[in-house]
Amino acid sequence: MSPIAALYVAQAIHGLAYGMLLFLLSSGLTMIFGMMGILNIAHASFAMLSAYFCYQVLVMTGNFWVALLIAPVAGGICGVLAERYLLRAVHKQGHLAELLVTVGIMMVILEIVKIFWGTESLVVKVPPSLRGLVNFAGLTYPVYRLFVIGLSIAILGIMGLILFKTRLGKIVRATVSDADMVNALGINTPVVFMLVFGIGTWLAGIAGVVAGPLLTVFPGMADQLGMDAFVVVVVGGFGSLGGAFIVALFLGELNAYGIQFIPRLAPVLMFAFMALVLAFKPLGLFGERE
Amino acid sequence: MRNYNYKWILWVAVFIFLAVFPRVFSIYYINFFAAFAIFSLYAVTLNLLLGYMGVLSFGHAMFFGTGAYATALALTHIQGFPLLPAVLVGGLAGALLALILSPLLVRVTGTAFAMLTLAFGQLIFVLALKYREVTGGEDGIGGYPIPPLHIPGVASIDMTNQVNFYYFAVAVVAISLCLLWFYTQTPFGNAVVGVRDNAMRLDYLGFNLPQTKAINLVICGAFAGIAGAVHALLQKLVSTVGVLDISNSFTPILMAYIGGVGSFFGPIIGSGVLHLLEDLVIRFTQRIGLVNGMIFILVVLYAPTGLVGLFGAAKEKWFHKEKVS
Repeated sequence: MSPIAALYVAQAIHGLAYGMLLFLLSSGLTMIFGMMGILNIAHASFAMLSAYFCYQVLVMTGNFWVALLIAPVAGGICGVLAERYLLRAVHKQGHLAELLVTVGIMMVILEIVKIFWGTESLVVKVPPSLRGLVNFAGLTYPVYRLFVIGLSIAILGIMGLILFKTRLGKIVRATVSDADMVNALGINTPVVFMLVFGIGTWLAGIAGVVAGPLLTVFPGMADQLGMDAFVVVVVGGFGSLGGAFIVALFLGELNAYGIQFIPRLAPVLMFAFMALVLAFKPLGLFGERE
Repeated sequence: MRNYNYKWILWVAVFIFLAVFPRVFSIYYINFFAAFAIFSLYAVTLNLLLGYMGVLSFGHAMFFGTGAYATALALTHIQGFPLLPAVLVGGLAGALLALILSPLLVRVTGTAFAMLTLAFGQLIFVLALKYREVTGGEDGIGGYPIPPLHIPGVASIDMTNQVNFYYFAVAVVAISLCLLWFYTQTPFGNAVVGVRDNAMRLDYLGFNLPQTKAINLVICGAFAGIAGAVHALLQKLVSTVGVLDISNSFTPILMAYIGGVGSFFGPIIGSGVLHLLEDLVIRFTQRIGLVNGMIFILVVLYAPTGLVGLFGAAKEKWFHKEKVS
């Protein structure tokens, strides 16, 4: 393969890895929005919290796989607690109040992280089996990014199966489309809300943990991941999983090629794209409601 | 009649307080008060969107920051740029930005509006960070001259003097607040409240809905820009993290919520409470964000109408009992 073509392919796989990571993060965000009408500003903060948990577990046990298992679950539990004791209390005040509570949660998480782990970047080391490069079709590629792509596909596959093939998934999808009706049918929707919020933050936690070795773990992580995830959700259409998937992959590629060709404008491209989409479709590309 | 006298006395007391303040307190508190005044104006412009028009601006720092940058750039690059035009340039820049964004922003409401303003705020932040030959990047712009206030034929007042600058800043903020107060009392200001309460009905009544929203947006942008301009003159330094950062968008929201959304004077009270609290907290800990975040959650949970709402409820309970029953 010629060096130029190899470069393009390498960037494409880079973009794919970041896109999958982004979808892992934004799938939870868009599901929470679709179901509860809350745009969870603190979503990426929970991802960051999980990344810090991962660092802590890694320091204590030295085993990345254990950290990958425990940290997102711990993040998810934090999410469930926040939903149960803070968001549910303001639910009747409307969406604006819920949005503001998540802003408060975001600020608190940011400061807590700074208090316990300081402000400097922490390096998360991946296990030896994920280090190094693989040769494939005349191209060397870091194993870890391939692992990110594989893990994301596996988790999203399982989540997709649960969502579309089980009774629980049916209840969740029904609650997304009409929560009042499902409640009237005798299903405890607050528990479903809590469950989805927990799973959403768990997915965000996994995204945060696998992003740790790529970006290093630092307090600005939530801003960096969060803005991208918001763009994905807003452009893809609020509450649309399919839209989020397509836009996440597109943004991943846009980011990868943008950094290569116009490094200075790469972060701007994303927002310009978002403004362009919203100018013509205020509900996002695949959104049906506000 | 008695009520009228009472209000008149209150305003005189406020005026005397403002005039005497720099003679009584130290330089630190003079600057502290000037910062409080600037943020009051900033929070009031946010509340004109949040409380009056019913949309939450999550990127309000872009108007504030653009105003600050415009003033700083004008003072840096134009030799002998006078003081009042420098402030007006900031307001003009904020208005211009709002005008450019208004075709997009008037189309959306609710969460979408919040997200769109957040995105544009971040866009401006990133642009300011990347175009360092214009904006100075992370370092920002500093060291520009603060021109004297030149009144033709009367005097030229040195604005590097902190006390003089205090009077200037407070005067600019007070005039701006007066203008905004009269603006909310006009029929047009009432139409803006109508946008919040029942946009469809306003549309049927023959008001041009997008235009009404856009004009309100431009006015908010202009006065937020003026606040930014005075901030730039006070701090003598404009940096991306200082004025355009997302936390600077959250601050006025927090102020408006503490004071009371929808009341004109609420954000001013909120700004005062937050500044005093910050002054108090910083003696014990550096983690102001933690305290602010917790207050944010507690206020939204337990006092969604803010201090003005609590005060009104208390007044209703204790002083107007006979009227209620």
